[in-house]
Amino acid sequence: MNNTKENTTPLVDNSYYEAVTTAIRSEARRVMESGEVSAVIGYKSGRRKGSAQPVIISDVSRIDELVFAPTCTNNLSLYLTKAKKEVSKKGKIAIVAKGCDLKALAGLMSESQLKRENLHLIGISCAGVHGSNVKPSEALSAATIARKCRECTVHVPEGVDCIAGTLPQLEQLSALESAELERLEAMSPAGRWAFWKEQFSRCIRCMACRQVCPFCYCEQCLCDRNRPQGVETTPRPAGNMGWHIVRAMHLAGRCAGCAECERSCPMDIPLNLLNRKMANELKELYGQEAGMQPQEKGPLATYKEDDDESFIK
Amino acid sequence: MIGPIGLIRRIGPIKEMIMHAEKLKHDFEPKLVAFVCTWCTYAGADLAGTSRMQYPSNVRVLKFPCTGRIDPVFILRAFQKGADGILVSGCHPGDCHYMAGNFHARRRFATFRKLLEFIGVDLERLQFSWVSAAEGGKWVEVVTELTERVRSMGPMHEFKELELEECWSGKLDTAELKEAYEAIP
Amino acid sequence: MPNTITEQNLRALIDTLVKDGSRVVGPKAAGDMTLYEPLAGGTELVLGVLPRRSAKETFFPLCEDILSYQKMEGKMTVEDIDLSRLPSTVLIGALPCDAAAPGILDAVFSWDYQDEFYLERRKKTTIIGLACTKSDDACFCTAVGYSPAESRGSDIFLLPLEGGRYRCQIISDKGNLLVERYKSFFTDEEGGNALPLSQPSMEKLDLQKIREWLENNFESDFWKEIAERCVGCGACAFICPACHCFDINDEGSEGKGVRRKHWDACGFSKFTNHASGHNPRDVQPQRYRNRIMHKFKYYDDKFGQTLCTGCGRCVRACPVGIDIAAVLQEIMKYEL
Repeated sequence: MNNTKENTTPLVDNSYYEAVTTAIRSEARRVMESGEVSAVIGYKSGRRKGSAQPVIISDVSRIDELVFAPTCTNNLSLYLTKAKKEVSKKGKIAIVAKGCDLKALAGLMSESQLKRENLHLIGISCAGVHGSNVKPSEALSAATIARKCRECTVHVPEGVDCIAGTLPQLEQLSALESAELERLEAMSPAGRWAFWKEQFSRCIRCMACRQVCPFCYCEQCLCDRNRPQGVETTPRPAGNMGWHIVRAMHLAGRCAGCAECERSCPMDIPLNLLNRKMANELKELYGQEAGMQPQEKGPLATYKEDDDESFIK
Repeated sequence: MIGPIGLIRRIGPIKEMIMHAEKLKHDFEPKLVAFVCTWCTYAGADLAGTSRMQYPSNVRVLKFPCTGRIDPVFILRAFQKGADGILVSGCHPGDCHYMAGNFHARRRFATFRKLLEFIGVDLERLQFSWVSAAEGGKWVEVVTELTERVRSMGPMHEFKELELEECWSGKLDTAELKEAYEAIP
Repeated sequence: MPNTITEQNLRALIDTLVKDGSRVVGPKAAGDMTLYEPLAGGTELVLGVLPRRSAKETFFPLCEDILSYQKMEGKMTVEDIDLSRLPSTVLIGALPCDAAAPGILDAVFSWDYQDEFYLERRKKTTIIGLACTKSDDACFCTAVGYSPAESRGSDIFLLPLEGGRYRCQIISDKGNLLVERYKSFFTDEEGGNALPLSQPSMEKLDLQKIREWLENNFESDFWKEIAERCVGCGACAFICPACHCFDINDEGSEGKGVRRKHWDACGFSKFTNHASGHNPRDVQPQRYRNRIMHKFKYYDDKFGQTLCTGCGRCVRACPVGIDIAAVLQEIMKYEL
């Protein structure tokens, strides 16, 4: 989401990014040289000015490729899941993680997909990253920052092995996503249906939202099945609505809020609104929410005998 | 899609006539789908039948081993394929044949309701209930109430209309458009 | 010889075309972005923006029915789609990178099998191309042999002039037919000076060399290096003007249903998955390799063209920043 009306003055100084980059490199070098880890998952620069992309480095000589910039949007925990079988998971691996990525890592640990002792966490004091459709060369500003970052509560990582950089003084930004959520909640059901119908009808079923999600690691996605077919696989409004409802349902109580689905969507569908809504509801219903520490069980993997059943006759 | 056997066996021709007569009174007969667990609600519905209790024939009963097996996708699919109302029913808390299936289902459906509400689906069309094997009367009550409620709400258009929609590029020419084109000299 | 049209008349032409029963597809605002969509009238045309999705949809829909079936009293009837129901269309305002694509795809859709759905739409569509005045650092049409003034693929090509006019170049008979029919919208004046066109910065690539390198490097470590990060979504393929793979699915029930053809992508793990469970392209680098190979080698081997017009959409959309132009530049660095 582009916040075109917002201010384009840079939010943080370039020296912040330089400091974070240096810290990442020195920690990565230390753990690689000592043989503590077999690889580092981080970010490197791309061809376009300011752009960055995920990189998996297993050779000490390439450590200086690692960077941190406002374009380091990806949630790298994705590369540690079983969905990414091309990434070797032998031995201990170091991973660069922002606060929201750490929540995903904690979630994956809760679901027994990862073990803390196999990870070396390089946490970032994160000022925020770009939203979608932002030119990579642009500075991080109120106009270019991701919607999720405007309401971030995890700028400074916890429970990591090393923290890269120190958090600069951050400006308080208006909570656009919460405001949008409230706007939708205040609508009539018919209004909400019309809103989502329009959003979902644009979907082309490129599955970017699923593929970038650290929690979509199923080997066989229900929505790819055709015998029996649970959700229509064709990119028509009916199947799209089915797919997005199923996606939101399967992530309820698991989503860490990295909003990668929303950022990756080439059709700009505000998917994180669904995720946030579900997270809010589950917190209210069962008092659990994604955090930086692994939980024993997610809210939908457990129950209490006295759970609310006011909706059941 | 077979209803409780007891129900079919026990309803005599007179009752069929009564039900038929009743049907004629309504302009709209809603289609209801009931997803029920085999141990409690299915047995409860069967009891209603063997006890010669009457309830609207609008409901199609689908039985599952446990409410814990009832995937929200089933509900979605039923709406997409034309259901006007849906009932999900299983054992009372503590009575689950598999110890905790209904406890898990309770959380899942509480969540799913919130999601559907946020998408804009009217929750009045979706009913959850606990009906034990001994509660034939409650089954009748739940089904009758839901049928009448959905009847008063009218048909569920949203998902059905969506089924018919195409993306613009896959649309075929409409008759009007074609006619206009052919009229060009 | 009519050779210019004002912007006002261009929009009025759209109104008239719509009134005459044509489907007019052009860049149109859709929320915060622009998409090629049917226009209800001339005012809806958005100029000077590259739509998020390519124009290939006009010929090769995102999803279309190809037959329907019904079982009645044990007898199955299958009904074909009446091709005469495919709408007559004018694609207007297609940028050179989009207008060029159908010309490339004709080869594959009329090769060993005549894809009647594609070909019929193609036959019924007139393309009015528009020179490109706005590019960014993801654009690389010049690197793959196209340019912002490339008229290849268009039936009529418009070049923006100063003062809100367009110089109109008639490329094909189809274009001529349209101009003849709607002559009153065009004028004979020369018009003013041409507006400056966009200037993508990337230098021309030696596609022959890239092809040769690909020929010899099917099993290179290079693929792992560039595509280990690939997450296997279909964003790049779906918004690409030249990607044309599709899947066919039957949807409905045993008694009644539709067979549908819809976009597919070689990045999906299911793309090559066999019924046995074996997947010859088992990991992502192998799938990404296929994307590059298909675009710059296989298609060239078979049809003498490359499957890329340099629109840069995949570069902008890739969730993990894979930049096809950078990949090609990397290949250029290798010795043969």
